[in-house]
Amino acid sequence: MNRKNIEKVRPRIEALESMPAIQAIVQPLVSMLREPTDQVDMEKLVELVSYDGTIAAHCLRMANSPLFGRRNSETVRSAVMALGLKRVEAILLSCSLNNLVPPDKWVLDAVTFWRHSLGCALVSRKMAKLIGYPDPEKAYLAGLLHDVGILVNTLACPEDFRKCIEAAREGHVALDRSEEEHLGFTHCQSGKMLAEHWHFSADVIDVIEFHHDGASPVGAPLVALVHLSDLLCRLRDLGYGYYEAMGVDLAGDAAWATLVQHYPALDKIDLARLTMDIDGSMEEIVALVDAVFKP
Amino acid sequence: MTAGIVKPVTESEDLHDPAYLKIRDVIYQISGIYQPEEKFYLLASRCARRMEAVKAKTPADYLEHLTVRGNREAELRLLLNEITIGETYMFRSAPQLEALRNVILPQILKAKSAMGFKRLHLWSAGCSTGEEPYTLAMFLLEESDKMLAGWTFDIMATDLNDRSLTAAKAGIYGEYALRSTNELLRKKYFRPYDDKQLQATDQLKSLIRFDRVNLNDDSKMTFLKGMDLIFCCNVLIYFDLSSKRKVMQHFFSNLLTGGYLFMGHAESLYQVDDRFHLVHFPGAIGYWKPAVGYAAGGKP
Repeated sequence: MNRKNIEKVRPRIEALESMPAIQAIVQPLVSMLREPTDQVDMEKLVELVSYDGTIAAHCLRMANSPLFGRRNSETVRSAVMALGLKRVEAILLSCSLNNLVPPDKWVLDAVTFWRHSLGCALVSRKMAKLIGYPDPEKAYLAGLLHDVGILVNTLACPEDFRKCIEAAREGHVALDRSEEEHLGFTHCQSGKMLAEHWHFSADVIDVIEFHHDGASPVGAPLVALVHLSDLLCRLRDLGYGYYEAMGVDLAGDAAWATLVQHYPALDKIDLARLTMDIDGSMEEIVALVDAVFKP
Repeated sequence: MTAGIVKPVTESEDLHDPAYLKIRDVIYQISGIYQPEEKFYLLASRCARRMEAVKAKTPADYLEHLTVRGNREAELRLLLNEITIGETYMFRSAPQLEALRNVILPQILKAKSAMGFKRLHLWSAGCSTGEEPYTLAMFLLEESDKMLAGWTFDIMATDLNDRSLTAAKAGIYGEYALRSTNELLRKKYFRPYDDKQLQATDQLKSLIRFDRVNLNDDSKMTFLKGMDLIFCCNVLIYFDLSSKRKVMQHFFSNLLTGGYLFMGHAESLYQVDDRFHLVHFPGAIGYWKPAVGYAAGGKP
């Protein structure tokens, strides 16, 4: 990493503080995310969701999606009750993060970004349940936020970031490799900077920083879980919107070995079936993201 | 094989009927064909045709035909036919061909070149009426002045059914089989047969050796060696577990180290084989015969 290059990102992150929605929604929300479910103030969460009419509508659309069990909630309060507090916090956070980038300023377009993020969140949660990871909602949140650095790069250095994506698309290579080459740092490092600035929980910060490093000893087992989910999404048309020329033996990945040490059930997982289930959810992921995040 | 027209499932037919879950599980357990719940409208429409034929009134009635009735094995076979009908056309799996072009062939060519080999052997096992081997032949010929310059290659295409093999050798196809074959390839590798059909050129046919092989025939299977790639799509779904396992053992020894096996897009080898490594490519899954001494590292 080129320290000088990434330090240019910091002022842009600090400038986000002045956005009204950051103060009104994101900051209280992030501190709420760190709290255990039984200590979250539901009234406060309903208030946060209702702060912005568009965000509230998007939250309702997401809450009523078959991906989350199709609840037919008509009010924010009933959606919060039906979905559970942690799920609503994650939904509200993704809607608020989306508003950080003005519609015409996206580099990797909003729909591609959110399909990947939501896909990774859902796959992380699904894998978490399959292997017996005790906090599937944490896995969901970590999957949802793992690429937050892409938003940072979009805001802080749009032109250089555009070059990274173009080069990655041209060479069919992974985005972080292209960033390393053209920016001197990756979305993992810029994402970490934002996550620390906003006081995300330590385990989520680890996921943001190390999700491209399958061999990372830091943050196990959550980092390993999101690393594998991220790869799976990129291999099933929920990636960055271009062809990454790769063949991945997931069960031979270092992250698999790490995860299996904690959760031996991973070795019993029916990977072909999981893959087909991801394909099955695709239509609804696309429909939902189009409805909520299409500029 | 002709096009499968999917009967639309009406609103009144309940896709959430738990019997569909059980039908899906029976199919998966016995054949290895999996259908995610989001695609139950397809499963329901395929079941609907069989339900009409056996006069089953509800999915639960039909489940009985698949599980407890005396003719359950025959019924499952007929249902599997419904499920896989219409899957046989050329260039059906673009992601699989992209994986071959972008990842697999570069890998295999590099390994073989290092040993001084310049020849590739492909096998379409259960080639039915020939759409798959002709697709592979076109793919290889298109690469012959690019990645495959200086290489020779051949395709063995086998099936048990003599009628299918006769059709495959004739190489005469209508619009359905050619629906994903672009104009350029049609002109290059086919000639008009009649006003509705095209026939494969001799150049295309010359790459393929058709043969009758029973995948259950150990004496024959044992002698098929040196394959780089095996394609076996929707064939093992009709085999029982012990036959599946035996065929997989053969495939493993038929393949060269570093070679790949490809199955149908909805087929799974879960609990059938544990020697192959499942490898993901963008939009496609292959089964890899690992190199000797392969250690964890993620990338074959």
